[in-house]
Amino acid sequence: MSQYDVVVIGSGPGGYVAAIHSAQSGLKTAIVEREPTERLGGTCLLRGCIPTKAMLHTADMLETLKKGDQIGVMANDVALDMAKMQAYKGRVVQKNAGGVSYLMKKNKIDVHLGHGRLAGKGKVSVEKADGKKETLSTKNVILATGSTCFHLPFIDMSPERVLDSDAILEMEEVPEHLVVIGAGAVGTEFASVFLRYGSKVTLIEMAPAVLPSEDHEVSAEAEKSFKKQGMTVLTSSRVTDVKADAAGVKMVVETKKGDKTSSQTIEASHLLVAAGRAPRTQDIGAKGTRLKINERGVVEVDEFMRTGEPGVYAIGDIVDTPWLAHVASKEGILAVDHIAGKNPRPINYRLVPMCTYCSPEVASVGLSERAAKEAGYDVKTGVFPFSAIGKAAILNKTEGFVKIVADKKYDELLGLHIIGPKATELITEGTLAMELESTIEELLMTIHPHPTLAEAVAEAAHAAMGHAIHI
Amino acid sequence: MRSEVVMPQMGESVTEGTVTAWLKEIGDVVERDEPLFEITTDKVDAEVPSPIAGVLVERLAKVGDTVEINTVVAVLDTEAKAGEVPAAAPESAAKAAASTVASTGAASGARTSGATATALAEAPTPSRGGVPSREELRRTRSTPLVRRIAQEHGIADLSQIDGSGLSGRVTKADIMAFIESGAHERAQGTNGSTGRIAQPSRPAPASPGLAPGERDHFEPMGPQRAAIAEHMIRSRATSAHAHTIHEIDFSAVFAARKRMKAEFEERGVKLTFTAFMVKAVADALRAFPVVNASLDGDQLLYRGDINVGVAVALEASLIVPVVRNVDELSLLGIARSINDLAERARTKRLKPDEVRGGTFTLSNHGIFGPEFGVPIINQPQTAIISTGAIKKRVVVDQKTDAIMVRPTAIFCMSFDHRTIDGATADKFLAHIRQTLEGWE
Ligand SMILES: Cc1cc2nc3c(=O)[nH]c(=O)nc-3n(C[C@H](O)[C@H](O)[C@H](O)COP(=O)(O)OP(=O)(O)OC[C@H]3O[C@@H](n4cnc5c(N)ncnc54)[C@H](O)[C@@H]3O)c2cc1C
Repeated sequence: MSQYDVVVIGSGPGGYVAAIHSAQSGLKTAIVEREPTERLGGTCLLRGCIPTKAMLHTADMLETLKKGDQIGVMANDVALDMAKMQAYKGRVVQKNAGGVSYLMKKNKIDVHLGHGRLAGKGKVSVEKADGKKETLSTKNVILATGSTCFHLPFIDMSPERVLDSDAILEMEEVPEHLVVIGAGAVGTEFASVFLRYGSKVTLIEMAPAVLPSEDHEVSAEAEKSFKKQGMTVLTSSRVTDVKADAAGVKMVVETKKGDKTSSQTIEASHLLVAAGRAPRTQDIGAKGTRLKINERGVVEVDEFMRTGEPGVYAIGDIVDTPWLAHVASKEGILAVDHIAGKNPRPINYRLVPMCTYCSPEVASVGLSERAAKEAGYDVKTGVFPFSAIGKAAILNKTEGFVKIVADKKYDELLGLHIIGPKATELITEGTLAMELESTIEELLMTIHPHPTLAEAVAEAAHAAMGHAIHI
Repeated sequence: MRSEVVMPQMGESVTEGTVTAWLKEIGDVVERDEPLFEITTDKVDAEVPSPIAGVLVERLAKVGDTVEINTVVAVLDTEAKAGEVPAAAPESAAKAAASTVASTGAASGARTSGATATALAEAPTPSRGGVPSREELRRTRSTPLVRRIAQEHGIADLSQIDGSGLSGRVTKADIMAFIESGAHERAQGTNGSTGRIAQPSRPAPASPGLAPGERDHFEPMGPQRAAIAEHMIRSRATSAHAHTIHEIDFSAVFAARKRMKAEFEERGVKLTFTAFMVKAVADALRAFPVVNASLDGDQLLYRGDINVGVAVALEASLIVPVVRNVDELSLLGIARSINDLAERARTKRLKPDEVRGGTFTLSNHGIFGPEFGVPIINQPQTAIISTGAIKKRVVVDQKTDAIMVRPTAIFCMSFDHRTIDGATADKFLAHIRQTLEGWE
């Protein structure tokens, strides 16, 4: 039995990045993954970020070609071939999973396939598919078991009609009418994909706005755009009853307007439940340890990702920080640096870029206007629309805007909010600027190449100072 | 809700102001736009109106404190009732404490100009061979936000702060903690060199080495007085002052004024002699552009605009608001501008930018009755006119030898002999004389 410095349970973007960083730091490392075959990469790679973005790319291409005649590209009979799309998506996923495997080998990380559990001080047990057990001995454990789809208790999931985000990824045909519960990142993404694949789409959200955690102006713009594209959007609405059979799904939707609640029945071909994710912490051997797991299943950690149990760290979707791949990876690196005794800096969660790959894309970092006001800042904002940006016109994508939220006192950058083309790429500028504690002036002094979409960021900075140039 | 009032930016070039009076007491209700306190800058005195309505709950600057712009000087409570002074919530108390530090800090280290603070902050202590290490660079470089906060609080040396950022870089949290701990003030108290920057060197007037007696007392000079003192000495040291003096007959102006006064008054404009003089000066400046020029090294800079500064005496000082593009104004326009500027100068409502950019100056102090005065040039201008009282004097008609009683004033022009000679100066003044004596 080998003695490890670090055993990582779970090979998602939290786990596998932690393992690589650990090995690179000179620590003897193993990773445990319970996916039946050697498919490393976790939710992100197999059922999350990567496959959805492949589907999205197909949707983008489809839309671009359909609108091709507007810019002189006559692509006749543009059509979607779901089977080919699935094959392409499968290739992308497989290529990336292979990449993770290769990185494990390259960094001499032992991969143990099976279900991992804490098994007493300094021990991790691995239960293989065939039921055989193996115990690993280790000085430190990093729990990175991730999350699964959250199901609403009153809705029976049926593989044909009522789907979660895992199941919808495997769709062989385009749903005729897709109803999506939940207008967060996952829900709006699939809604945007299938709308462009040709489905009729109805998006239902309990909160009064779509993307409720985004800045209110961004939420409003997104809703406006979804509706313009032909989506039905019901906010302040909840599904209270669902009946599914081979023919389709029937559901009751209650919508609140002021004090009044109205009810309607919607019939659709498919229902996607995208009401959230749940941490996977039921079966990790927490019993008898000092791990604190709260009623939502979340593991409590300190600023260095340490759990209550000495030598056990937790990262990614099982802790109460933004559930995003890049957060999981950063937390993995932080945990390893702490294990390696490097005196790392805790993560500043205010600077996590939030990305939603709906169409138009939405990305933000820092505080929304409202949150900044609530935090007591004297807020000023600068908004600049993509419609006034040359590159956006060239790309035929002029929807959306960039919004800067800043503090009047020092012009401190408090938040950057983008809705529009390539928002998820553009947000990095704001993230870096805020990491460096820049003020608006630095953004505005930075020369932005022309013509690019990034000019919108500089212009928003000008606007925040009261002198936008191109409007 | 507590709301902070900051030292306003009073003009492009003004970076700080001295609080000269509080117009409201703690607990007083203040309306929006109602004067809250008075400040003086090296350019103007001004009343600062309150940006919001509320009850004054804190005054963070004392009379006499010099405070950089955007520093918090007062806190209003928008919900409190008259006389009510709600205590700051713990969090805002901390904030207020920080602000207090800001104002007092700014007072003692007032002259820590932004540029100097940044320069100091950016000058790393050289290590081996004078090349700063990466650590030193990062540490002393700090972040833009921190530099801004440091500047506002007059902290020139960031290396005194423990940095928690990369390689010990000072972050916002670090500097805020430093300020809130009061370490900032202590540092200034014990070590005069931190935070306090030497004044830019001025030609130091020789100190007479006064020994104050028992019945003497000192009073601080005040920024405006100090600025005037400095400007006058510098002007004397810069320009070759020469003078020419002309007597001008104001009979025609008297007649014209009598004729037009009522009409002007109907339009709400008081027609003063100064307006006539400014008009005549403007016409002469157009005829003699060199008098409207400035010397820059060995080049003469001819100014396209004719902007005439009109000196206005205040209680304890003097201010020179500028009438811009005078040559484009009618007598009515000139009179209206002068009335407006003079009125606002006396009620402390001028903006600093309104006292800048003059190309020529007229000092009409005749109202006090002097025969004439000899003015000092307002740099970087080339000439200045000072007018004596308009008095009835005995005048001999040069053609008929007739002796007449006429209202005249004696004008003295001081001009920079480096740029114009006596002939030009006299022709210029003669132009003015002809305009005024032949007014129609
Ligand atoms: C549809 C969808 C789209 C998404 N898109 C994005 C996006 O665009 N950008 C983004 O940043 N995030 C996205 N996310 C979120 C992102 O996928 C997660 O935040 C991220 O994967 C979390 O990483 P993790 O390492 O914590 O866990 P996971 O990626 O969930 O990985 C956990 C791994 O642990 C394994 N495991 C669990 N328990 C055990 C055990 N007991 N023993 C052994 N192995 C175990 C699991 O099989 C899994 O492979 C998306 C999520 C979904 C569902």
